[in-house]
Parts: sequence; structure tokens; C-alpha cells
Amino acid sequence: MNWNNVKLIFLREVRDQLRDRRTLFMVAVLPLLLYPALGMGMLQMQLLFSEQARTVVIVGADDLPEPPLVEQGHFLKRYFEFPDDADKLRVVVDNDETDTGETDRNPDDALATKDGLIRAAARMQEQLDEIVRLKQEAETARAEGDEGEANTFDEQVKALKAKIDEAMTAEGIQVLIVVPRGLKEHIAEINEKLAAGDLSAAGDPPRLPIVRNSADEKSLIAYRRVREAVGQWEDQLLKQRLESAHLPESFPQPVNPEQIDLAQSQQLAANVWSKLFPALLIIMSVTGAFYPAVDLGAGEKERGTMETLLISPASRTEIVIGKFLTVLLFSMGTALLNLASMGFTGKHMLSIAGAGQMSQLGAASFPPVTSLLWVIVLAVPLAALFSSLSLGLAMFARSSKEGQYYLTPLLMVTMGITVFCLSPAVEITPFYSVLPVMGPALLLKALLLAQTDVTSLYYYALPVLVTSVGYCVLGLWWAIEQFQREDILFRQAEQFELRLWVKHLLRDKEPIPSFSEAGFCFVAIMLLQFVAMRMMAQSTVGVSPEAMPVRMMQLLLVQQLAIIATPALMMGVMLTTSVRRTFRLNWPALKYLLVAAALAPLLHPPTVVLSGYLGEHFFPPLPESAQSAIAPMLDPQQPWWLVFLAFSVAPGICEELAFRGFILSGFSRRGRTGLAIILSSVAFGVMHMFPQQVFNAALLGLVLGLIAVRSNSLLPGIVFHMIYNGVEVFRNRINPDVWNHPIVQRFVSTETIEQQTVVHYDWPLLAICSVGAALLVTWLLRHGTPQRQSSAEGAPTSPTISAAPTA
Amino acid sequence: MIEVTDLTKAFEDLRRGPVLAVDHVSFEVHSGEIYGLLGPNGAGKTTCLRILSTVLKPTSGRAVIAGYDVAEHPEKVRANIGFMSGNTGIYDRMTAWEMVEYYGRLYGIDEATLQARLEEIFNTLQMNEIRDLLGSKMSTGMKQKVSIARTIVHDPPVLIFDEPTSGLDVLVARAVLLAIDYLREKGKCIIFSTHIMREVEKLCDRVAVIHKGRILDSGTVEELEARHQQPDMEELFFELIRRHDEELIQGGVGIAEGV
Repeated sequence: MNWNNVKLIFLREVRDQLRDRRTLFMVAVLPLLLYPALGMGMLQMQLLFSEQARTVVIVGADDLPEPPLVEQGHFLKRYFEFPDDADKLRVVVDNDETDTGETDRNPDDALATKDGLIRAAARMQEQLDEIVRLKQEAETARAEGDEGEANTFDEQVKALKAKIDEAMTAEGIQVLIVVPRGLKEHIAEINEKLAAGDLSAAGDPPRLPIVRNSADEKSLIAYRRVREAVGQWEDQLLKQRLESAHLPESFPQPVNPEQIDLAQSQQLAANVWSKLFPALLIIMSVTGAFYPAVDLGAGEKERGTMETLLISPASRTEIVIGKFLTVLLFSMGTALLNLASMGFTGKHMLSIAGAGQMSQLGAASFPPVTSLLWVIVLAVPLAALFSSLSLGLAMFARSSKEGQYYLTPLLMVTMGITVFCLSPAVEITPFYSVLPVMGPALLLKALLLAQTDVTSLYYYALPVLVTSVGYCVLGLWWAIEQFQREDILFRQAEQFELRLWVKHLLRDKEPIPSFSEAGFCFVAIMLLQFVAMRMMAQSTVGVSPEAMPVRMMQLLLVQQLAIIATPALMMGVMLTTSVRRTFRLNWPALKYLLVAAALAPLLHPPTVVLSGYLGEHFFPPLPESAQSAIAPMLDPQQPWWLVFLAFSVAPGICEELAFRGFILSGFSRRGRTGLAIILSSVAFGVMHMFPQQVFNAALLGLVLGLIAVRSNSLLPGIVFHMIYNGVEVFRNRINPDVWNHPIVQRFVSTETIEQQTVVHYDWPLLAICSVGAALLVTWLLRHGTPQRQSSAEGAPTSPTISAAPTA
Repeated sequence: MIEVTDLTKAFEDLRRGPVLAVDHVSFEVHSGEIYGLLGPNGAGKTTCLRILSTVLKPTSGRAVIAGYDVAEHPEKVRANIGFMSGNTGIYDRMTAWEMVEYYGRLYGIDEATLQARLEEIFNTLQMNEIRDLLGSKMSTGMKQKVSIARTIVHDPPVLIFDEPTSGLDVLVARAVLLAIDYLREKGKCIIFSTHIMREVEKLCDRVAVIHKGRILDSGTVEELEARHQQPDMEELFFELIRRHDEELIQGGVGIAEGV
């Protein structure tokens, strides 16, 4: 690696990008202009399109008791928390002679509308009275046991409601308030009686129907405001009543639940920043990385300068790293410029927002300097990951246009992750902290939210940074890998024809599957699993609890056979010429069988304890469904043979056929056995869905892959797999008395949870097993049958890199 | 300077299955010599030269340039060759000077030597008026000059030209050929591919006719003409290709009969 070359390439690319008007616009001009422009636009919109006033009609307003509810066509401002809200309701009353609303331009017109509204409202009032009558009739009918008649009344009520709704929509009335005749007098009368000490008078308060349609958005908003105003007004009425009865004002309030809001304006602001900053940082570092990456990768191919660079003394790794650093610079630049521009615009906007809910944010002070520093620190790994991914994609693309197509999926995935991280319920945990993108985003969110106690969050900084660097190294490695491949560098724009391609697949078969066929096999298994999930769930519906374990095991068997083994076998038969080599159907040397058989029980205790520990402290808890799936294993009612078949034999054969057969063979086609083992074990892990199982399976997948490669046979793997799963079944099924034997007690301890004996491995056993397993794995790493040269398989030769030194 | 032995390159083709783009090709080129690769489009010239420039890796066979194997020491090989083809474009957003200077620096030439060398090249190729012109503003001829300057900036002993005149007007093409001729006089080892007979006749010391990945025959123009009793290169070329295609068809029939 010649860093001078990297520097040269980096400087050239940066200068090149800076000379490109498009990039400059995207990276610098757009963010600097966009947010202020957006802010201006929002202000303009607020001025131009203030919320349209909704119409409320009050029939019989004459009968409303004092204090006044309506004045000049609006509810009184003092009834609202935000006085401006009063203007958002236009109130039409039938006793008012003055003009109802300032919004109406022509007084005649307004008068006509007003009269029309009141007439319509009067009709509705009659219909409402009818509804009340019908409801009473229905009740009486029901009380008399005449269900049929009651139903007809109900039908009529429904029809009337529909009519009213129709009329309200037609007239543009959002809320209708019907004041019963003589309400004022009625209330005054009750007040008098109460003042005189006749408490029974308050028994049945007079009705005040408020009609609205909760399915209609406009009506809903109007109703909420009406409710607020009427509620306040009702409090005033109550106050009068208490006064007339010579009762203290605090009479209806035995306790005063006082709300003390600890939020300071700074915290409210922190809350806003903690959502905006991580989201914007992620989205902008993706877009900021993508456009320069496409220009540096596909664009360079398109303009015909790629080959010029390839024949220069700079190695491909140097070229990619130089380009990567450029993309990283622009990605970070875009992200941070966007943040700064948005921050200042937002702050300015809030400071001029005036009255309204936003005013609580006060001056929206920025987060403290340390938090801002963290924004910059965490922007690096985020931008680096996106830069390497974008660059890899851009190298793959034939043209800039093709490159642009890859932005959408990348953006979709990151958007999904961003939305997930923004959810208030999601907080940083040890598990999330090691996930790509999520770790930095959640840490940043937590840091921006935290006001005082930040030290506890620093514990997360290390795993977040270390894993982020790891992911971006992986991404970069992938990008370099893309750049090394001739078929990608010199991809021709050949037309793609499905028929031709299928023909090519079936015609030019090779002894073992290709890398992409293996990848496709894995994807097919995952897709089938996804599709089958629903069917599996459905087939357990309505099964009695006794029959459930059997059904679960049947499903497990079906899943193993149909979803895992079948695709692999079918692809193996159709796409390769040597089923035997693809699935490693060779008779292994006896030593490998013995090692596999010994390794399985040795590895069981340490791996179970490790994944149990991680499950408790690291991974999110297992969902209910996963636990019910393994429940039959613990059920002593089930026959031994069925449990072994479902949990040990079937997975042993089916999963090995797929993952150590077809997939591992395909992955190792390029000659990188170590990488193939890692990839196949990751695939094997991912297939298990739940984080704990994913981890454990991936770990075992490494050992299984190593066994398969060393022995060049599938059989030892099957033996290992069956025994490993078998031990788990055995541990859960064996007569609990065995564990109580004094010798056994030295190695294990038992615990009874919900009538089940749970066995824990103790330290001596763990230590012995770990040492034994380590010895055997080392032996496997050292003693391998040399693999046949991959050149014999017709694949282009490349230097073989093996994870394990071959002796 | 260039030794190629049994060089082979296989590709996967969707339509035809595996294809040998270069099929056991062997030749040698010495210093002060121009070796011509003459063949129709798709004959495998570009693939062969790309392997020599280490951009592609050979499937089998060996190619040694200036003492370094292309598969084992690609960096050393790249440092010792100048490569120019229709596919080696120049940057739009760089001036002629910047472009050549950039490549000079990538070759690790020290700054003082590089500046002197740049002045020399810009004078020789009469490029001083396009010194500060951006690539996007240049005509094809100017671009070609910049490419040549870029190819020779590190004064490599071996030069590879892959159809350097394709798509150029006569004046520019002539200038390019003159430049190549000049480089031979300076003792460079040059390999030059084309599908234009006249260029071969004028320029090449020795020539190989290449078709469908194979070298059909090679030697000096006179030798070839004498060997095949053809009056000129053009007739000779068509005759060789026709004969080869006939053999292929017969071979195919033969195989079919054998089955």
C-alpha cells in the first residue's frame, strides 16, 4: 500500500468533484439554501393558508343561560387555552341579528347562508327530537320483550342519523348544538332550589346535545374545540350555581391534581434535536455519499477514464481507498452542512414563531458542545459505512444511470432503520449498540437527550465505535473486492434475455454450483420461510393444547423437508453436473466421524451457556412464538422417537444438505474456503431468525463448515448436528433423577422452574468441555485433507486464501 | 522486452457459453521494434493487450514484460509500460497539464524531474497552447495528444498502443503514427494493434494476423507476402481469415462425424 498514491488519488478526486457543479450544488449549495427556503416557505404558507374556520350552528341560542357563550359569531376567546383558536370556529346562532362572520364578503349572501343554515338546523332539531322519541320507544318495546319492534325503531334511528349527517355535510355544518327550549329557566330554577337546600333538584341535569360525525376529520377538529369552549363555559355555570348556593368555589374539587412540568425549554429543545439530528445525519450521509460515489465509480467507467487509472502504477486497493476517502469527505460534508443549516434555520424559525404550541420550546437552544462533538464523531462511522457501500454499488454499475437506480433500495433500507430509531420506545441497548447504523443513531439520540448523566452512555461509545469501524472495513473490503473483479470492471451492456439465461444455466452446468447460485439458494430458503410463516401460524389455529406439541413437531418436519432440504436438493440436481460433489456425498475418513461425534457433546455445554448468558444480558428476549416452538422438546408426554426425529434427525440431515452441501460448495467456488465457511455459517445463523439462535447457529456453522471442508464429506457434519441437537433433547427429557446422582451433581446443578427440571452446567464441566473442544477444533484446523484444486473445476483461478493454515 | 507464451483468456458468454478470447497466443517483441497485431474487430486484440497491461488476468499462459511477469508483479509491469487505447480516456475536469502531471506523480517521478519532463513533452508534442484547457473543452486530436503525453510521461521502455488511430481524422491519425515512429527510433519496444492494413505496412517491423483469439501467421510484411504468395497485405489478410474459417467449419464437421 502506497499512501502517496492514495493521497494523490484522493486530492485529484476531491478537486474533480469540486469542479463539478452538480456535486457542489448537492453538497454545499442545496443544504445552505434549502432549509432557509423551506423556512420562508413555511412562514408564507402560514400567512396565506391559515386554517379554515369550521362552522358550528347553535339552535335555540336564546335559551342559553348566562354567562355568554358566543359573541359576534365566535365563542368567547377566554374559553380557549390558546385564544387564537376562537377564530377557527365560525358560530351561527339563531338569535343574532348581526353579521356572523368576517370571512363572508357579501352581507346579503352571508345573511342568506345564515338563514339557510338555521333553517336546516331547525329541521335537524326536529329529526333529533324524533330520534330521542324513537330511542325511548325502542327501550319500552325491549322492556316489553318485543325485540322485533325495538329493532325497527333502531333501524329508523339509524336512517334518521344518516339523514342528519347528509344534511350537515350538504350545508357545511361541522358541529350542531341544540339548546333545549327553556334551558335558561330550567337551570335558574334548579339553582334556586339548590340554594334553598333541595338537593334532589340536581338529580337529572338537562341535556345539551352536541351533534358531530367522528369519522369526519373536519367535524372532529371542530368538535374538539367546541368541547373545550363548552367545557369552560360549563365551569362558569357551575361557579354561578355554587355562588347562589353559598358554597365555596372549590366545592367540586376535593383534591387539586397539580401538574408540575419539569421540562425546561432546553430539554424540550433537546427532545427535538435528538430526533432531527440522527435522522438527518443518516439520510444526508447516504445521499451525500451516493452522488459522488456514482460519479467516481460508474461515472468514471462511463467516461472511459477507468482504464487509464487502472494501468497507472496505483494498485486497485489504493485506487478504491483514495476514492473512498473522497466519498467519505463529501458524505460528511453534506451531512454536517445540512445539520448546521437546518439547526440554524429551525432555531430562527422557532424564535419568530410567536404564540402557539411551538413557543414552549423557547429559544430552542442548541445542544451542549460535547453533544455536538459527538455528532461529528458519530458522523464519521456512519458516513464511512455509507461511503463504502455506495462506492461498492457504484463500482458494480455499468453507467451513472444504472448507479442511480441503486440509490432507491439503499435509501429505503436506511429510511426504515431511521424511522425505527426515531421511535421514542427504542433506546440504546447492548444489542442495538453493535448493529450497523442503529448503534450510532441510537447513541447519538441518547446523548442529545441526556442532560446531565452522560457518563453511563460512554460505555456504549466503545462498542458502537468498534463495531461501526468493523462494518465500514467490511464495506470497504467489499468495494475493493468489486473493483478487483474483471467481470464487474468490464461489464458489457449486453442485453439480458431470460430465456437465454435459463438456457445458459441449464446448458453450461458445472460440477458444483456457482457463488450466486448458492446465494440464491439461501435467499430462496429465506423467502420460503417467510411465505410459510403465515401458513404455519394458521395450521396451529384451533388445535387443542394436548395436540399442539405433535402439530408443532409435524410443522418442524415439514419446514425442514420442504423449505430447507427441497430447494437445495432441487437446485443441486438441476444446476450442477455432480450431485455427489455438490453435496459432498463421499465416505469420510473414520477419524473425522469420530472427531465430529466427540466434538458435538463437548461443544454443547459451552455454547449453551454462552448463548444463554448473551440471551439474558445482550439480546432482546425471545418472543412467545419461539418458545412455543421448542416447547414440545420439554414435554415429557411426547414419544422419544418423534422428538428426536423433529429436533435432531431432520435438522441434522436437511440443514446440512442445504448449508454444508449446496451453499458451502457454491461459496467455496472462488477458492476462498475460509470466506466460504464464514459466509455459509452466517447464512445458517440468519436462517434461525431469533438473535440468540442466530448467534449460536452461526457459531456452530463455523465448526460444521470446517468439518465439512476438512473431511470433504457431509456425513460427519450430519453426525455432529444430530448429536448436538440430540444432547439438547436429552438434557431436557432425561429422568431428573439422573441429575441427582452425586457424581453427576459435581458437574451440573438442577433447578425446578414451573415443574420442569432445568439443568445448568457447572464450571468444572464447562472447563473440561471447552478445553476438549478447543483441542479438537485445533486438530481440525491443522489436519485437513488438501482440497482438490479449484482450477480443475473450470473456475478462474485466484490465489487461495484459507482461514486455516494447512499443514 | 515482451515475451508472451501460450497466453489464454476464457470468458463466460451468455449466448455461446465459455469462449476463448485469446487462444494460446505466443510472440516476442524486442526493443526498437514495432510489432503489429492485425485483426478484425473482436479478434481478441484488446483482450490480449489488456492482459499485457495487467488490467485483466490471464486464464493460463505467461506474459513477461521488461523482465516482470504480468500475473506476479503487476505493479512493476505497469511502471514499465505506457498503455494507450480507445478506452483510456482523459478527465473532463482536468487541464492537459494537470492530467499529465497527475499521472507523472502516480509513477513516482520526483517533482523536479517531472516538471522538466513535462516541459519537454509539451514542447515535443506541441501542446503548449492546450496546457490550461480542460479536457471537456478539447477536440479529439487534442485529447489524443494528451493521451500520448500521459503514456510516455514516465519514459517507459515498453509501449502498448491498442488501435490508437480508431475514430481519428486523417491528420490526427498521421500525427499519432508519426509519434509512434519517433518512439521506435528512441529504442522503445512497441506493440501496436489495428485493423487498418496500411498502418501495418507503413509502420510495423513484424506483424501477426490474429483472428478469433488465435495468431494465424506472423513475420515481417515481406515474409508473409512471400509465404502466402499474396501481392499485398489486404489480400493476405482476407486469405488467412477465409482459410481459418474454412478449417474451423471442417473441424466442426469432423467432430460431428466423429460423434
